[in-house]
Amino acid sequence: MANLSIPAIRERLFNTSKHENATQRNSSNPFAASSFKGNVLTADVFESSTKKDDQIDFTGKLKASALVGSISGIGEKFQNMINSVVSFGNRMKENVVNGWNKLNELGNIEISFTPAKEKAVSIYNSVKDSVTDLISSGVTSKSVAKMEDMTAARQLLTDNVAAWEAAI
Amino acid sequence: MTDKKIVKNVTNIIEGLGMNENPESIAILEDVGTNSKVDAIREMTSRALVKKNVHDSLKVVITNKGKGINDMSTVVAMSTINELLSLNDKSEAIKILEDTVNMHSDEEVRDNARSVKALMALS
Repeated sequence: MANLSIPAIRERLFNTSKHENATQRNSSNPFAASSFKGNVLTADVFESSTKKDDQIDFTGKLKASALVGSISGIGEKFQNMINSVVSFGNRMKENVVNGWNKLNELGNIEISFTPAKEKAVSIYNSVKDSVTDLISSGVTSKSVAKMEDMTAARQLLTDNVAAWEAAI
Repeated sequence: MTDKKIVKNVTNIIEGLGMNENPESIAILEDVGTNSKVDAIREMTSRALVKKNVHDSLKVVITNKGKGINDMSTVVAMSTINELLSLNDKSEAIKILEDTVNMHSDEEVRDNARSVKALMALS
C-alpha cells in the first residue's frame, strides 16, 4: 500500500531524483523526460513504440474533423474580416452623423465670406472707375492736339478749368 | 480735394493745345490758362506755351506782367524759367528777352527778362 500522505506525495512529485532509480519504468510515456519522470502516470496509456513505424491512418472521423476545423477556422477569419469592415463602416457612419449633428448645432450662425466679398467689390469698383474714366472722358492730349474747331477747344478748356476752380 | 478726373482733363487739354499747331491755341491758353486762379493750371499753361517755342507763345510768358516768368507765384515763375532753359533751340526766346530788356515799359518785367537772359546765356 502506497504512502498517500501529503508530505510523501509532495516528496515524490518535487523531489524526483531521489526516487528516479527506484521507480519502475514500464511505460513509453513521452512525458517521462519531464519533471514528473513518469512517476505520476504509471499505466501505459500510449501506444507502444512498435507501432510508431506504421503510417498514421488519417482517415475517417479524424480527417473529417481536421477538415471541418480548418474550414471553420477560415470562416472565422472571414468573419473577423467582415466584422472589422462592419465596425469600420459603423465608425465612419458615427463620425459622419456626429459631424452633421455639429453642423446642425451651429444653428443660426451664418457662414459668410463678407471680407472677401467686400474686397472683391472694392477691386471691381476701382477697375470699373478706371475703365469708366477711359471711356467716358474721351479727352486726351492727342485728341485735343488734332482738334480743328478752336471754339470747341476753348469751351472745353474753359469748362474744365471752371470745374477745377469751383472745386477749390 | 479736386476730382482726379477734372485734373486729368485739364492736363490733357492744355497738353493738347500745346501740341496743336493752330495759332488760336495760343490765344486759348493765354486767355483761359494763364488767367486762372489755380497755380497748377497757370504753371501747366506756361510750360505748354514755352514748349511751343514760337514767337507768339514765348512772348506771352516773357513780356506779360503777372504771367510766365513774371507770375506772382514763385513756383509758376521758376517752372517757366526752367522750361525756357530746357529748350533745345533758345534763339527765339533770347531774342524776345533782349527786346523785353531794351523796350518794355515795366521795370520789373525788364529786370526779370534780364535775369532769365543771363541764365540762358550760361546754360
